[in-house]
Amino acid sequence: MSALELRGVSKVYGEGATEVHALRDVDLSVAPGELIAVMGPSGSGKSTLLTIAGSLEEPSSGEVLIDGSALSRMSRNQRARLRRRSIGYVFQDFNLLAGLRAVENVALPLELDGAAVKVARRAGLEALEQLGLAERASAYPDELSGGERQRVAVARAIVGDRHLLLADEPSGALDSLNGEAVMRMIRAACRRGVAGVVVTHDAQLASWADRVVFLRDGRVVDQTSPPPGPESLLVHEPPR
Amino acid sequence: MSVRHALLALLSEGPKYGLQLRQEFESRTGEVWPLNVGQVYTTLQRLERDGLVESDDSAEDGPQKAFRITAGGEHELGEWLRTPPDMASPPRDELVIKVMVALGLHGVDVREVVQVHRRHLVELMQQWTRLKGDADERDVGFALVVDAELFRLESLIRWLDAADARIARLAPDVTEPAAVAASSAPKPRRRVGSRR
Amino acid sequence: MSVALEPPRARTVTARAENGGAPARRAVVRWSWRLFRREWRQQLLVLILLTVAVGATTAGLAVAVNATAPGETRIILPGSDSRLDDDIAALREAYGPVTVAHHQRIRVPGSVSTVDLRAQDHTGDHPTLRLRSGRFPVGANEVALTEGVARLLDLKIGDTWHQGGRALRVVGTVENPRNLDDEFALVAPGQAEPAASVTVTLDHNPARFRSVPVPSGSPLGVDAESPTAKAAAAAVVLALGAIGLLLVGLVAVAGFTVMAQRRLRALGMLGSIGATDRHVRLVMLANGAVVGVVAAVAGALLGVVGWLAAASPLENLAGHRIDRFALPWPAIAGAVVLAVLTAIVAAWWPARSVSRISVVAALSGRPPRPQPAHRFAASGGLLLAAGVVLLGLSHERRRVFVLIGTVVTTVGILLLAPLAVRVLGAVGSRARVGVRLALRDLSRFQARSGAALGAITLAVGIAATIAVGASATHVTGDAAAGNLASNQLVVHLSPNGDDGLIPDMSTAQLQAAQQRVDQIAASLHTRDVVTLEAAVNPSASSQLKPGAGADGQGGSIAAALVGITNEGHGQTIKRVAPVYVATPALLARYGLHAADVAANTDLLTSLRQLHGLQLSYGFRQEFVPRTQAAPLPRYTSAPTTLITTAAVERLGLQPTPASWLVQTSRPLTSAQLSTVRNLAAGAGLNVETRTERQSRAQLGHDATAAGILLALGILAMTVGLIRSEAAHDLRTLTATGASRGTRRTITAATAGALALLGGVIGTAGAYLALTAWYRSELDALTHVPVLDVVALTLGLPLVAVVGGWLLAGREPAAIARQPLE
Repeated sequence: MSALELRGVSKVYGEGATEVHALRDVDLSVAPGELIAVMGPSGSGKSTLLTIAGSLEEPSSGEVLIDGSALSRMSRNQRARLRRRSIGYVFQDFNLLAGLRAVENVALPLELDGAAVKVARRAGLEALEQLGLAERASAYPDELSGGERQRVAVARAIVGDRHLLLADEPSGALDSLNGEAVMRMIRAACRRGVAGVVVTHDAQLASWADRVVFLRDGRVVDQTSPPPGPESLLVHEPPR
Repeated sequence: MSVRHALLALLSEGPKYGLQLRQEFESRTGEVWPLNVGQVYTTLQRLERDGLVESDDSAEDGPQKAFRITAGGEHELGEWLRTPPDMASPPRDELVIKVMVALGLHGVDVREVVQVHRRHLVELMQQWTRLKGDADERDVGFALVVDAELFRLESLIRWLDAADARIARLAPDVTEPAAVAASSAPKPRRRVGSRR
Repeated sequence: MSVALEPPRARTVTARAENGGAPARRAVVRWSWRLFRREWRQQLLVLILLTVAVGATTAGLAVAVNATAPGETRIILPGSDSRLDDDIAALREAYGPVTVAHHQRIRVPGSVSTVDLRAQDHTGDHPTLRLRSGRFPVGANEVALTEGVARLLDLKIGDTWHQGGRALRVVGTVENPRNLDDEFALVAPGQAEPAASVTVTLDHNPARFRSVPVPSGSPLGVDAESPTAKAAAAAVVLALGAIGLLLVGLVAVAGFTVMAQRRLRALGMLGSIGATDRHVRLVMLANGAVVGVVAAVAGALLGVVGWLAAASPLENLAGHRIDRFALPWPAIAGAVVLAVLTAIVAAWWPARSVSRISVVAALSGRPPRPQPAHRFAASGGLLLAAGVVLLGLSHERRRVFVLIGTVVTTVGILLLAPLAVRVLGAVGSRARVGVRLALRDLSRFQARSGAALGAITLAVGIAATIAVGASATHVTGDAAAGNLASNQLVVHLSPNGDDGLIPDMSTAQLQAAQQRVDQIAASLHTRDVVTLEAAVNPSASSQLKPGAGADGQGGSIAAALVGITNEGHGQTIKRVAPVYVATPALLARYGLHAADVAANTDLLTSLRQLHGLQLSYGFRQEFVPRTQAAPLPRYTSAPTTLITTAAVERLGLQPTPASWLVQTSRPLTSAQLSTVRNLAAGAGLNVETRTERQSRAQLGHDATAAGILLALGILAMTVGLIRSEAAHDLRTLTATGASRGTRRTITAATAGALALLGGVIGTAGAYLALTAWYRSELDALTHVPVLDVVALTLGLPLVAVVGGWLLAGREPAAIARQPLE
């Protein structure tokens, strides 16, 4: 069973003359442990795809299934619970709630889901430790560097037993090394069984994915085949 | 990549045998660029001829012959490190040529051509990235080489993205390549001329 | 919050509550609290408004409860009571401990005033007697005086008062703590014999009080002061406080809306993590509750502290000593609870609209489209009209109409604010860049500028209402000014002042009196002396002559303005104002010419409330006179009303000197008054001087000043808030090369525009409401308090512009720092 499946998803904003087709008949399936990158220029519908996949928006037509259950049959509160328990988001530049320490930010989804403060906090600390951020646990967001903030956001997205990670330009505001660190982290999470979708226009980011899907004008136009082993490179690339 | 200067750099650390030089070259460049033994010895002979390295005269030509760098060699290495590579004359890039040709042809979807190349390049990047991701992060030499390759490929993809956007903007109807070529060709030329 | 009290929940996922239950709520509330701690400065406007409202209510409650004197009942026995001791014993038996005082009325030579000589036992617990300085009198030759009596007699401790053939040494200063206006001279018990009357005072208790037959069978005069007035006053203040809180709540809604928009992305983030709509609402509601609690507690403290500081000046105003800690605690607690509820309810509306926005829109910081200004304006106009109509229908009496009318009018004006802001933006589109930017910011960010303008308008409106209202009551309330100015005195021929009975005097006696008045004027170094001639009725006088005067002296009845009310089969005639003859000298004194007076006019008057008044010039001789308004004095013992010489002739009256009005350049001192009284006493004349302590007109000016200060304070806060919101723009501007002058211009223009709009709308609104209120006597409003209105509409903006210009020079570090989002 796919962790995430989009079936014929379309999204139309506005009406009449101002009608904009953000997505047209998109099919996409992400298996557990798989990291998918969605690439496309600005306005190609990448972000819409991510918000629809994450139950933040409803498609105009088509169906979204998360762990096999259709979002369209869920109430607002049920979808909120799904976000607390199954889906983790990482956005480009605004991820953490000011006023909460790093570990509290990470533990927040668990607390919102009714976990006791101590339990949630322990889980948050564990997630931060996994990502090598344990010593920054009690810092407030404005005391963290940009890279640290994004990594805390990744920790929050995978805390508990979430298994769908959705990231919108997760390293867009970072330099390349910090961006690489964030992507390594997301990839590591996927190796542990999380299904990941990263939306980006940056080829460097996308290249961390197992599969890259190309989006243009709201349509999936192409995708890469799963890459062969690394040996091929050494044969293909002679020294110059 | 100049094998000549790479060998000089290795010898600046101390005297080395020919076979040893080859192993160290490969390991330092992350085994990305393979080097055959013949290449190593030919280069060493030329270096010796130019007086940049010297060898033990007693030994025969072969694996046991050790080489060391001369003062002239050290100077040459220093000069080379600080001389910028030739970037002024653009390389005759095959990718650019292919897209240009596609633009002028009837019945060819240029954006589709662009996408084929883009996909190929992204696939290549995926492979490099996988190499980098699996490698030890402390292996700086390897990371540098892979990064160089990734940035090069990325720059090509970005060029393709820009070309794609330009084509999409200039001709909403890309099935009319002739019109595109006729209307757009003179303009960039003029622009290039004015910039020089 | 109650969430902390619920039992801990099971930790397994399956057992978790549907929507996170208590732990989720706790987490959300914790975040809300942390946000408040970080961003309380941005909520300062709402905090301060709420604090001020609660503080004012608390202080108001304290004043209301303590302003009325403790209730007491005085039973007055005639001094002629033959079985006095038995009667007092009977009362004491009936009521328990009582205070007994014997009274004598002592005339002060040369004055219309009398002194209450009181013999009272000072030992024991006497709530009506307190020693201020010196000691209580003992024996036959000692006396203690209240401050007023000491001033009147020009005596101090150690002096001797020669009274009725005995010499009393002044040994102390005393007062009646329950009534500071109670002026008397205290002597030891038994030293005020024969007593004119005896009072028995007991604490008021309606349940206990019943008519007690006394052994002597004397009629008992009962004088009760009810404390029920207290509870009523407290209820009124609480109601006013509730209205104030309601208004503050409206501003708070706008404030919380701004805050919700500022936190929009964070709330969207919360939603993307999986918070439900209820959680998102809870963030805002918890914030409202925190603001409410902080402001309510701070306000209550402020109110109590303010009360403690204001209590002693209030003692003078209220006329009795005050127990500072006798506060109406339940009512204050009610006000605090009300304030917290106000804040929570105010937070509810923005909470609701924020929780309805889609998470995606919230994350990208797109606020819900603001309500178009014209919709606000339409409902604002309707409400304003409805409020004005209600006020008009209230006939100054129906309280419900007044209450609803006031609230509806105010809300209407507040709703008009966005339109005004929009208009301002349009007007400013051609101004210089600094001004243009400031005005455009105001018109674009309607929610916050509308709220700011609303708050300022409210403050100005209150100040304007008080100022204009005070001026109007000054006009309509004829007794508001007092009897005389502090630099005036009137010398009367009659020992009872202007009571309408003019003693008969020979020409020689009159000449002597005139000379003595000139002497008095000379002693005061003034020449401003006006002879006030009464118009007496020779025929009426003859009827009254036998034993007419109070002292058995002969006298003539003078014409006077009277109010006549019919009660059952009898008539009650109440003297309203003395009438003097409009002699050419008197007319000239007040800048009037004989030519200005219409031929058929009977009376010239400065009084406004003439309805139902008649001119009386003898027994059963009265009619409704033709009056003409004139710029005459407004003090009741000064010539407020003049009868024309034509009318005097027509009615067959005879002008005769009755009094002299003497005016000096400076307020009269008690030493001067003492001299004057001695001079007057020597010639059998009687002096009247100002009796009231403070002018009430002053109160209006004080309120205006306070209102302007309040408006300025709110203005400073709102402008600071608005500019700090736009700190980012300012940085961009500075980077573009804007000078400090531009920065100053922006802040000054923002402050000036808000102040101007607030001043104009507030004043206009106040006038509108008062027009409806006074619609039956609109001429009251023609007396515009020019100074106050100019101060509010022009002075306030001017101060705002100058203040904004001066304060905006340096950019505070706190503002320059961009908050993390």
